[in-house]
Order: sequence, then structure tokens, then C-alpha cells
Amino acid sequence: MNNVAREALLRPFGRASRPWWLTIVSLSLVVGAGIAAWVVQLRSGMGVAGYNDHAFWAIYIADAITFIGVSYGGAVVSAILRLTGATWRAPLTRLAEGTAVVTVFIGAALIIPHIGNPILLWELVTRPNLSAPVFWDMVAVMTYIFASVVFFALPLLPDMAILGQDHGQRLGRRRATLFARVSRGWVGAPHQKRVLAGALGLVSIMIIPLAVSVHSVLAWSFASTGRPWWHESIWAPQFVVAALYSGVALVILVVAGFRRGYHLEGLITERHFVRLGFIMATFAAAYLYFTFADILPGAYVGEPGTAAVFTDLLVGRLAPWFWMFAVVGGLLPLLLVALPWTRNVRGMVIASSLVLPMMWLKRVLLVVGPATYDTVLGTFGTFRFTWVSIAITLAATAAVPLLLMLLFRVVPILSIEEIEEASTGHTPTEPNRPAGREPSPVGATGTSHRVAGTIGVLLLVGLMGVLGVGAAGPAQAATPQSASVSSSLSSATGEPTITIEGVEGGGKVQLTATLTVANGQPQADAPVEFSFTTTEFGEPARLVPLGTVTTDTSGVAKLILGGGADRMYLPTTVGPQEFVATFTPTTADAKPISSSTTVNITVARSAYTPAPPKPLASLGKGLVVALFAIVAAVWLTLITQIWRVRRVRLATPEPTTNTA
Amino acid sequence: MQERTTLPEEMPAGPPPGATPDKHPMLSRRNTLAALGVSVVGGALAMVSYRDDASAATISTASAEKTAEHAWCMVIDLRACDGCKLCTFACQKRHNLRDEQTWINVYDMKDSSGGTFPMPRPCMMCEDPPCMYVCPVGANLHTDEGLVLVDTEACIGSRACMAACPYEARYFDWSEPLPAKRLPMASTPQMPVAKKGTVGKCVFCADRLPYGELPACVSACSMGALYIGDLVTDVAVNGPGTSVVLSEFLYDNDAVRYKEELGTNPRVYYIAGHGQDLGGGE
Repeated sequence: MNNVAREALLRPFGRASRPWWLTIVSLSLVVGAGIAAWVVQLRSGMGVAGYNDHAFWAIYIADAITFIGVSYGGAVVSAILRLTGATWRAPLTRLAEGTAVVTVFIGAALIIPHIGNPILLWELVTRPNLSAPVFWDMVAVMTYIFASVVFFALPLLPDMAILGQDHGQRLGRRRATLFARVSRGWVGAPHQKRVLAGALGLVSIMIIPLAVSVHSVLAWSFASTGRPWWHESIWAPQFVVAALYSGVALVILVVAGFRRGYHLEGLITERHFVRLGFIMATFAAAYLYFTFADILPGAYVGEPGTAAVFTDLLVGRLAPWFWMFAVVGGLLPLLLVALPWTRNVRGMVIASSLVLPMMWLKRVLLVVGPATYDTVLGTFGTFRFTWVSIAITLAATAAVPLLLMLLFRVVPILSIEEIEEASTGHTPTEPNRPAGREPSPVGATGTSHRVAGTIGVLLLVGLMGVLGVGAAGPAQAATPQSASVSSSLSSATGEPTITIEGVEGGGKVQLTATLTVANGQPQADAPVEFSFTTTEFGEPARLVPLGTVTTDTSGVAKLILGGGADRMYLPTTVGPQEFVATFTPTTADAKPISSSTTVNITVARSAYTPAPPKPLASLGKGLVVALFAIVAAVWLTLITQIWRVRRVRLATPEPTTNTA
Repeated sequence: MQERTTLPEEMPAGPPPGATPDKHPMLSRRNTLAALGVSVVGGALAMVSYRDDASAATISTASAEKTAEHAWCMVIDLRACDGCKLCTFACQKRHNLRDEQTWINVYDMKDSSGGTFPMPRPCMMCEDPPCMYVCPVGANLHTDEGLVLVDTEACIGSRACMAACPYEARYFDWSEPLPAKRLPMASTPQMPVAKKGTVGKCVFCADRLPYGELPACVSACSMGALYIGDLVTDVAVNGPGTSVVLSEFLYDNDAVRYKEELGTNPRVYYIAGHGQDLGGGE
């Protein structure tokens, strides 16, 4: 068994075959086409990718969700199997974890074409908005990437040591040098293995909540907007289940591909595929259930927005695609696992190949449906697939096998240490291994340490160097001044005259206008309009009418400003305020007459009361501090694990008789 | 030499064979970790409080009543609007927009009798703007006068704001903007120059307001349906020159805000009706 494993392990390090080169070249061409498409998009704008104002989020964010999602299969499944001590996982872990690392990098990179102005992407670090889900997305993805790399790199150490010492001459010069450098000082001594097992156990535990956090925050960047269907509490767990489901499917495909390409049939058997198939079927059932639970309440209540989106999804424009997903991407894979005569390698591979594109389709549907919904009119816009967005999506897809093939030219494709332990029950090179729960001693690579350290330093520097958003207020308007309004008090006899007086007292302003006609006789029953002047909206001053009062028998009209039964208006600024009384005679040719007075206002009241703060707004700050503390703790713990392993590797080993 | 540095949770099941752990490195590492942790959390706290300073200048604090000189708002009298879209055209001309980019858009809304009525929709200048909270780089600013503006120089084009806006008030430059028809000038949030890959939206012509000038849409509206107002000084004016006491105008005409139930506290008020006699008011 061990010899079979070692032979298989060394096979990828031999001379590259012709099909290998052909595959690499064709995949590279697809990736190159995608990069060219991205350059086109950069030059002419995102419109060439089919985006418009009524389809502002679409294919790229769906791609990013899909690719970050499939990385779950590697990380979580491998971690769960490791923690539960399922030894059958041994030949799969390296492939699964490598898939996780590769896909999470591709998924994170897909954010770049999604962004309209990617040249400013560094602002996410230098001036983050701590209340934005997208910022926390970045934090979660970065943390998850770091953890995935650690989780992938730690178990490489003993493998590289074994291969370097036992088969150095078959590795090729460069690989031998690399392996020797990485595993320098690693002899598989008990204390080394113990420390590595501890570190790996801790990372396996950590990577599960980290993976959950990534897709939860991704879901919340949708759910924390008010759009129908996005704004659902089930979205975060549904995203997590979707990621697990598609992730297991990708692991099946990757394992099948490398098993065939490198003839690993002796190590990876149908049993492995069926077991992965069972895991996939569990998630398929869970995801179908979540999809149903997601849609039912909204469709049942039928609020206009939600009803429109679900109508569109279930019986409208998107219906063929949605039901295709439900049948081909949900029921059919379930059936393929359930039926005994399809429960084999071929059946599982077919099921996985159905799941992956259908899960991508589901992501496109759940992004495009609500994004194209016009929340004012209730109509739908259209997203058009163009060659640009398709080329970039295909490039991301081709990058997965491409990067995996390149990766496994450098690092061992199988975890030889785990396989040998799984087959014998304990390490052949170290019979006195303590009865730990972890069968696999592992190690960190110097390279991963440096990479991780750099990422960590960059992130910490970024977090510390945050700039706030300046509240750039526009220049202030000149304060309203009392402008000179012509007091068109006519002195000619026979013409009516009007005078106005204003008194402020008791928080109110009383305006009194006296209207007289010729000979000084008071004019009764005449409408007098009171106004105040403002220059806020430009010169000359505008008259703002306060109300019309009819004069009494002595020709007097009174207006009290002060709320309640009086007029609502009260002067809003302290200082001189001009009031005007105007009388418009009913005779055809007569001109309006008016008089103005200036009252020195001492008590002013703004008419405006700001809205009260939101009830839970104050909790946000506490949450931010807590989140930063958690993120810092995670990074520190991960860095500590690398540091521990590195130290134990470089420490002088106690003399043992081990041969590895 | 047994060099062990285990935290309790990392301890392998089963006792380690022989060798008493050396306590000192563990302690010193704990101290180091604690110090690092404290400094990181401290940095986070400092950052949060710094952000607080930035947001203290916005209108949402209680002290805004005293500090803000203006609180700009808009009143849209739907009784007067005939759907001619002069406001849209004036805005597009002033801001050099494409035909499909409508900072103030006149929607044909359905009424209960199956007909339609025109409803202009500028930016609502929410006091609790959802667009601002979701921007990953804080490219939105909320001035102390209550204007929500976009800093196109900082915008990374994530379009999270477009997702968050319940009023569809935001637009994106999906391609190279139209060539400028005016003298080249610096882009400011108050008078943004369109930039490919960034978001734009109505700014209430924030560059005009300090000079007592009316926004382009308001002055273009010959029907007098659009009023620019100031909640602090309690005045609103429209294009033809009608001035009203804002609070009384809103009260007397039963003004409402669009999608009030979302809690965004929009600063645009609508007076319902579309030309028909509702039997209320005067």
C-alpha cells in the first residue's frame, strides 16, 4: 500500500506528458482570453459586460460567490473529516485543500472585474467604512484565505521531508532543493509531531467558523439592502449550505480528474466517490429545503416587491432557468446518489458536473432577479450576457484546473503521511507516537510563513492606517440679511396707506397693520397679507406670505406668530427680521401698497427637528470593536501556529532512531 | 530537550510523555500575545472613535439643530406636475448626462383607477441614507446641511449604494462619460464631473444653493411643481417665484414622504394629487 502510494505520489513529478502540456496550453489560452476581455472592459467600461442601471449587480458577483463557495468543499469537508477522524479521507485531503486554496483566490480575484473602478481598490484598506458589509466581506475573505493557506501548507511539511529524504533523486533538482529547504530540520520526532498535530487540530477547528463567516458576510452584503428577496434572514445560512453543496461537487470532480490523469485508481476507489456523494446528497437535500423555505413566506404573503420578484422567478421571465436548477441541480443529483445502479464513480462525476453549473445558475438568478427589479416602478430591467463577461467567467473556470495542475507539479498531490498512517493505523517510522486524536503530524513551510506574514502585516497596517470620511460641507450661504423693501407708502392724498408694527414678546411675534384710506379714515373688512422677507434664495429679497387677516372696524389687522392657535411660523434666526404688510385694493387699476418693519428677534426657533437616531444604532460600535477583536485573535492564533511549527522544526531534535 | 509551547486548547489528548513544560516561554508568549491583542483592539477603538468624529458633523446628531444653518429639502406638488420632464432635461444639460441618466426622473406612476400620473423623483436626501451605510470606502458624504453627496474621486464603483437605495436614485457610468461641454473644472462632490466606473446621483445642485440660486430642475419647472426648501429657516420657493412657509405648506397640504415606512427619513415631500380636485385644501 505504501509503495503504491509513494509510486503514485512521485508520478506527477516525472517528466510532463504530452496531454498534460496540451491541457495546460489550452487552459492558459482560455485564461488569456478572459484577461483580454477584462482589459477591454477596463478600457470601455462595464457596459460592455452587459451591465446597466437596471442590472447593476450580475454575473461577476455571482461568479465570485460561486468560486468562493466551492472552496468550502476542500476546507470544511477536509476539516470536518479530519476532526471526526474519518481515515478514508487520507488520499483526498491534499486535493481537497489545494482546490480550496485555488478557488478562494480565484473567487477573491473576481471581485476585481465586478468593481467599476478597481484602481482604487486599495481604499478598502486605507479608508474603510466600518458599517459596510462589503468591507467586512473583504476582512472575512482575507482571513479565510490566510487560514486556507495555513491549512493547506502545514501538512506539506512531513510529506516534503519524507519525499526529500527517501526519494530525493527522483524529485528533480529544483523540487529537491525546495523540499529540502522547506522541511529542513524536520525529522518526525515525537515532539515535532505533537506540536504539528496540535496546530493542525486547532486550524481545522478554526477554519469551519471562518468559512461560515465568509459566506454569511457575502450573503449579508445582499441581505442588508432593502431589496425584495435579498432582504431575507435565511440568506446567510442558505449561502453556507449552497457553498458546501457546490464545494463537495467540485472536490468530486477534481479528485476524479487527477485520479484519471495520474492513475491514482489504486488509492482512490469508488468507495471514496460514493462517500463524497453521500455528503453531497445531504447538502443537496438541505439546499432544496432552504430554497423552499426561502421562497415560501414571501410568496405566501405577497408584498408587492417580493411578489413581483418571485413571480418573475417562479412563473415569469426566469422560470425556465429556476426550474432547470431545481430539477437538474437539485433533484437529479439526489437521484443519482440515491439509485444503487448510478451510485458509482461515473454517476457521482455526472452528478457533480450537473451541480456545479446549476449552482452557478442559481447564484446568477438570485443576483439578477432582485438587481433588475425597479423598486419604484415595479418593472424589470434586463441583464445581457456578452462575450466579455462570459470570457471572464470561463477564464475563472479554466483557472481552477490550470492552477491545480501547476500546484501539484510543485507540491505532493497526496498526503503520504496520512495515507501511510491510515493504512497501518500508526506511523511506521515512529512507533512511540503518543495516542493523540490526530494521526497526522504536519508542518509549516517557510514559504507559507513568509507569505502569510506579509499578508498579515499588510492587513494590520491597513487597519491601523484607516482614514475617515471627511464631512465635506459646501460653503455656507450668506446669512439672510434684511433687505430694503421699498415701503411703497403713498403720500398722495386719496390713496390708501398701510403701516405695520411688529413686537416680539413671550416667545411670539405680534404683527399689527393699520390700513387707512383717504382722509385718514380706517379701512375695515380689507384683506391684509403679512409676509416676511428672505434672501436665502437670492436677491432681490423674496416675500414669503404668512397669512391674510381682515381688518377690523378700526382698520387694524393683527397676526400672531407662535404656533398653536396662531400661525405656525416663528422667526428662525436671531437678529433683525423684516416683516411686510400688503394690501391689494379691489379696484382694477390700483396698485398693491405695502409697508415694512424690522423686528429684532431675540428668541428664534428652528422649524426643523432631526429624526431620532435608530434604536439599535448605538450597538453598531460595540459590534465593530468586537469584530475587530475577533479578527485580530484569529490572525494572531494562525500566525502563532505557524510560528510554533517553525520553531519546533528548527529546534535541535532530540536524538531518535526515526528514519523518515 | 522538550520544547513545548501549548495552550490548553491545543493540547493533544493524552498526557505528553515525560518532560515538564517550561513555563517561562509560555508566559512570555502569552504576555506578548496579550500586548498585541490589546494594541489591535486599541487601534480598532481609536479608529471607531475617529469615525465618530467624522460622523459627528452630520445632521443626525442632536446638536445639529444649533450648528446647521440650513437643512435643504424639496417639496414636489404633484397637483401641478404635468409630466413635461423639463426638470429632467435641465438637469441633464447642466450635469452633462446621457439621456438614460436621470438624476431627477419623472416616473409614470399607476393610480388606483388604472391611469397614470407623473411623479418626479430626485435624490431623497435621506437623513438615514442606506446608500451611505453600505459604501465600503465611505465615498458618500452627508453634509451638515443634510445633503448626501458622492465623492467620485473616492468611489470604487462597488455599486452597493445602488443596491441599497430604495428610490432607484443612483446611476452608474457604465462607459466613458459624454465629453464635457463646459470649461474643464475640478470635480467636487457638489458639482461632480462624471467619471467612468463611478456612481452619480442628484446633488440638489449643491454648488448653487450657497449663492441663493435655485437647482436647475426647480428653476426649469414652469408649472411650479418643484420647490426647494430649507427646513431650518422654514421657507420654500419654486421656479415661477412662489414662496411659502414650508411647515405650513406641508401641514396644510398633507404632504407625505415616499416610502416613509422604510425609516430613511427622506427630505423630499410630496403633495398628493395629480391635477384632479381632491376636495381638500383651499
